Amino acid sequence: MKPEELVGIVGWGSYIPRYRLPLSEITRVWGFNPEQPRELDVSEKSVAGLDEDSITMGWEAALNALRRAGVNPREIGAVWFGTESKPYAVKPSATVIAEALGITPSTMASDLEFACRAASEAMRISIGAVASGLVKYALVIGSDTAQANPGDVLEYTASSAATAFIIGPSGESAAIFEASYTYVTDTPDFWRRSVSPYPLHGEAFTGEPAYFHHIVGAVKGLMEKTGLKPGDFDYAIFHQPNGKFPVQVARMLGIPPEKVKPGLVTPMIGNSYNSSALIGLSKVLDEAKPGSRILLAPFGSGAGSDAYSIVVTDKVVEKRGRAPRVVDYLARKKIIDYAFYAKSRGLIKRIG
Amino acid sequence: MRFSVPRYWRERHSYYRLKAAKCLDCGRVTYPYTERCRFCGSSRVVEVELVNEKARLLTYTVIYSAGEGFEDKKPVVIGIVETEESKARLLARITDVDVEELKTGILLEPVLRRINEDGESGLIYYLIAYRPVLKTG
Ligand SMILES: [Zn+2]
Repeated sequence: MKPEELVGIVGWGSYIPRYRLPLSEITRVWGFNPEQPRELDVSEKSVAGLDEDSITMGWEAALNALRRAGVNPREIGAVWFGTESKPYAVKPSATVIAEALGITPSTMASDLEFACRAASEAMRISIGAVASGLVKYALVIGSDTAQANPGDVLEYTASSAATAFIIGPSGESAAIFEASYTYVTDTPDFWRRSVSPYPLHGEAFTGEPAYFHHIVGAVKGLMEKTGLKPGDFDYAIFHQPNGKFPVQVARMLGIPPEKVKPGLVTPMIGNSYNSSALIGLSKVLDEAKPGSRILLAPFGSGAGSDAYSIVVTDKVVEKRGRAPRVVDYLARKKIIDYAFYAKSRGLIKRIG
Repeated sequence: MRFSVPRYWRERHSYYRLKAAKCLDCGRVTYPYTERCRFCGSSRVVEVELVNEKARLLTYTVIYSAGEGFEDKKPVVIGIVETEESKARLLARITDVDVEELKTGILLEPVLRRINEDGESGLIYYLIAYRPVLKTG
């Protein structure tokens, strides 16, 4: 038996902060072309409050995943936190969350970094750890308060949200992994040096050689490995840096836009980096019928993509009501202006 | 409120899990945890956690002139809440709320928040705060 088939998603959950910045505010302040938000197909982005960061958001997503899983926190043997907005450069975020959720001390815990796909790598590592019997359950969290240089085009979409999964035995799972495949290369499309508060991006690299090349590479690798075809999937969820790229990459793979739409969250909240594709999966698990097959392909700059085939089970139905759904967080929102956003993201520097 | 690193570490389960003392004699719950019941003085107490309970807002104050470390977080809303099942009362930060929405009796739920930090290089202090219960449909 393949390791994937022994393992599934026992619980899932997300978190979106309540504040939303309309992209028209960024256009207004920086004098951008007012058409740009429509070209990106993003209307608002979620913004973390003044008392939030990737740890607090990851905590709530993980709590929701634990509620759906219905497992004793002490049975979790690994907490892997994928982020590129660590509150501490050195001091694990994973231990704060593990302690706050009652998972400590008998557990592995660490933070992983690979731009937007660290949490996806954590998911693949979890498959190995659970399938081998090393741990019974693993908690995977993707959480970011994404940074962007003020006035950079990235500022339109860099947003805040978190998603978490309890990975465990397939027999208890709401969805079972069928297969997985990873495709990485050294590509300079986006980076942030340790001394820099904001990332830079290699303009020529962001689309074709990075996002499209790696996602197509991972999905084709998955299909060759499994014999699955685009038509075998009911849902397709890709990394969502904007609302357009996922639809375009789907077209390149022969997948119609209506299979992408249910997992597309970026048009409402922007790109939440490590939670970007995963919140799409979370939303699809909130809605999908048992038996549905999901294609999931997160992407991270630097660059790499993972492709997963995931099949929803009957257990998804009873688990759904145990925690707030993605749509509940989407509905809770307070519109803010650029000034409030600037203050809450620490863009205003005072002296004294 | 000033924190010290050793005290924060020692009391992290009070801050993260709302560790409290339930009295085996009078049944009441004291937060934070103490060896002796605050209500009847009994030392027959067991440890309980309040972090999974919703709470009602009993009273609150809005602080517009919060001091050092809170300059960016004004106005700061502090409330006394009573947890739904244990009926424990505690002082806590109220978050994700506009001042106009504040009303005694509203139902709140616990959330972990970044309450304070020692400047740009020091420790970050995470504590349970309360926010209005998320509407689910
Ligand atoms: Zn007593």
